[in-house]
Amino acid sequence: MPSWLPWLWSTVLAVLLLGPALGRGYVLSYDMVWVPDLTLRPDFLGVGTALPRAVPSDAVVAVIDQVVPGMVLQKLVLLGTLVLAGAGAAALARGLVGVRADGEVAALGALGGCAAATAYVWNPFVVERLVLGHWPLLVGYAVLPWVALLARRWRDEGRLPLPLLVLLPLGSLSAGSGVATALVALAFGLSRRRRASWGLAVALLAANAPWVMSGLLHLESARSDPAAATLFAGHAEGLLPAPLAFASLGGIWNTEVVPVSRTGWLAVAGLVGVLVLAGLGASRWWRSTGRSDRAGLIGLWVVGYALALLGWAAPDAVGWLAAEVPGGGLLRDSTRLLGLCALLPAVLVAHGARVVRDRVAGAPGLVMAVSLLLVPVATMPDAGWGVTGRLDAVSYPAEYAAMREAVGRGPGDVVLLPFTSYREPAWNDGRKLLDPVGRAQRRDYVANDALVVDDLVIPGEDPRARAVAEALALPAPDQRAERLRELGIELTVRDASASGPEVEVAGEPVASVGTLRVVSLGPATPRTVPLGWTVLMGLAWLAWLLPVAGAAAAALARRRRAAPGGHPGGSHRAHHAG
Amino acid sequence: MPTFLITFVSVLAGGAAAAATLVGVVNAQTGPPGDSPATVGNVSIDETSYGSTQ
Repeated sequence: MPSWLPWLWSTVLAVLLLGPALGRGYVLSYDMVWVPDLTLRPDFLGVGTALPRAVPSDAVVAVIDQVVPGMVLQKLVLLGTLVLAGAGAAALARGLVGVRADGEVAALGALGGCAAATAYVWNPFVVERLVLGHWPLLVGYAVLPWVALLARRWRDEGRLPLPLLVLLPLGSLSAGSGVATALVALAFGLSRRRRASWGLAVALLAANAPWVMSGLLHLESARSDPAAATLFAGHAEGLLPAPLAFASLGGIWNTEVVPVSRTGWLAVAGLVGVLVLAGLGASRWWRSTGRSDRAGLIGLWVVGYALALLGWAAPDAVGWLAAEVPGGGLLRDSTRLLGLCALLPAVLVAHGARVVRDRVAGAPGLVMAVSLLLVPVATMPDAGWGVTGRLDAVSYPAEYAAMREAVGRGPGDVVLLPFTSYREPAWNDGRKLLDPVGRAQRRDYVANDALVVDDLVIPGEDPRARAVAEALALPAPDQRAERLRELGIELTVRDASASGPEVEVAGEPVASVGTLRVVSLGPATPRTVPLGWTVLMGLAWLAWLLPVAGAAAAALARRRRAAPGGHPGGSHRAHHAG
Repeated sequence: MPTFLITFVSVLAGGAAAAATLVGVVNAQTGPPGDSPATVGNVSIDETSYGSTQ
């Protein structure tokens, strides 16, 4: 079977899974809020007052959507993520195969590659995080297999593969994905070659520099409410108790994003099916894979699984970490790094499919192997067609463009009212999303970062948001407006259709379009960013960009060197020129 | 990464996971109602929630 088949199969899976998400409009689901034109602003660069949860992902999108429209870019990101993930799993399964003791190469073939792709793309981790809108985490998930392969090549050959310099920053678009990418790179890339190991450490530091630096600048507020660890801990999913739910890559804290099929016997059948196929392939995998690679895959699985278990079994300990250790809040969503556990089963089922194909001769063997590799799809069918319509694309009402024009640009910032985090607008078919108003307009904005889970409020960490909440709690509209101006707020934008406390703020109405009301509070005292912060974040962004620019320059230089010497690339061009 | 190091880390992490599981199961079965999340934080019913654990 041809080697491009896993790419094609991954594309089929991605299209099946995304379905209506690829249609005209924007997929707006929980934390995934894309807008037609995201404006780059200081907050996105990590110098705002909030913790850098969307650094560097927001800045990257804001820059790229200057060239590619936001709607198209979102489709490319979602589709590309899933295709890259599936093809990467296939490449990893096939790439880790070495020479067996008896001298035969244990080729997996395209069948094994497709099995790996299916297991890696069509699983609860991908589906649930997609609905929850954690797209930067999924971009990181997609590059994990490729990072493993390239880091391994660096380890074995001692020469830096240039694509790694691009994939590491791509895999580090958020703190969670950056940690996962770093763990995979270390598991496969560390070696006794000190130079290569140090080089890898520097590359990882550079790839994570923006959110790490911004996190360091926000150390004072980088502590979370310990109660959140209990709410965000992974737990049982349907019939599967938590440890088994984690083993099947599920068990996310938010039951609202769990596909219905995961709550019944199909989830059990899916886990059993994957375990059977993985079990069938385990021996073959063990014999055909090098010790370091085996240890890397097992180690990553253990780390991802242990973190998920820790959050479930000892939420108080995780809560203490989040409250006392700056940055410890990274662990409070305990299944966030469960993607680390997806690599091993993907590789094992690839071998399992090959074992079935080899043991059962002829067409029955092929049919049986294909049937087994389709088990993840068959046992979670409602992940298809945009998770049964939950990822449907919608258009923003015209009032958003009018509001954007009314707010315009200026030194003063915007407060979003009601001062609550999430919305369920009718134009998004009642599906939840983070308030999109802030991202749809061009100024820096203050949104409430407190979260409500199970009707309980988890306090946010942003001191400015807290100050705004206090200002809104003042007794008179004039007092509220005055205090907001002191905080650098010049405008409020109220979404009349959103639920939340009605708080009046004195000001001059600027525009009233549809359900959106823009009110000017008058000239505000602009918030200033300390010069030290600007310099340090500038250096961090430079560190993040340099490897990418260096890789591009080196690739160009290689091409140029190869061109006159009769390299295929050079002869190709010469052929066309002639 | 040296194999022995990965093996060592895996054994440590595995042990921690096993211990955590045991503690979690015991806690889940014996924890007093006072530890329930329902008693933590301020109740808010007037806004859209981020999600539900139930």
